Amino acid sequence: MEIIESKQNEVNIFTLHGRLDSNTSPELEKKLAGAMQSGARNMVLDFENLDYISSAGLRIILKTTKDLKRTEGALILCAMQDYVKEVFEIAGFDSFLPIVPTVDEALSKL
Amino acid sequence: MSKAATSFKLKNALTELDSLFQHIEQFGRSVELPKKQIFQINLALDELFTNIVSYGYTDSNSHWIVFRLSLVNDAVIIRIEDNGVPFDPVAAPTSGSAAPLENCKIGGLGLHIVKKMMDEIAYERRGDKNIITIKKQVRP
Repeated sequence: MEIIESKQNEVNIFTLHGRLDSNTSPELEKKLAGAMQSGARNMVLDFENLDYISSAGLRIILKTTKDLKRTEGALILCAMQDYVKEVFEIAGFDSFLPIVPTVDEALSKL
Repeated sequence: MSKAATSFKLKNALTELDSLFQHIEQFGRSVELPKKQIFQINLALDELFTNIVSYGYTDSNSHWIVFRLSLVNDAVIIRIEDNGVPFDPVAAPTSGSAAPLENCKIGGLGLHIVKKMMDEIAYERRGDKNIITIKKQVRP
């Protein structure tokens, strides 16, 4: 998996490429935790090029959402492929996680 | 009636997940499964494999986990065999709903996904082996 990090208007954007599973999720966890330690409050995860996610990936996203909520920040997910979105729906995560179609829309909400 | 089968074995390491995916994709293509069903089978086997690797062994030795996939009529039948500690994924509790966020229990999420994505799942302990059998209907 490849993770590209960028910043726009005080929002940290993480663009994910490839597969997010139990083997690759520690890498994302480390990146997100590092950003939070450096003071990041609002984050966007761009899933446009993410081909796959398992419960290990969902765990990191849930943990990050909880951690950001504590500091009054927020996490928004965007540009999900249909298969990936279905995993969020089956897990019930779509009921409390904001999922929007584009990065621009995510940025406009933060 | 069509019938096709493949089998392969993986070591108990999470780095084997890429190999798992490649085997499933190859099988899926050979029997012309839609991409969505290949994804779903991959996800279910990933969750079960990850559980076995993470919790199945008390030693630090290398172990084989054996997979067998076959297409029988309109269903994919999968059998997973490991020699780890006894674990029954059918009886294990799953976390049905993740909301509300504050009291969400994360354990069992993977098994919840497996049960939702597959049509049937069975478990038996035979000798020192866990045997999981899964059925996924793939054609109407």
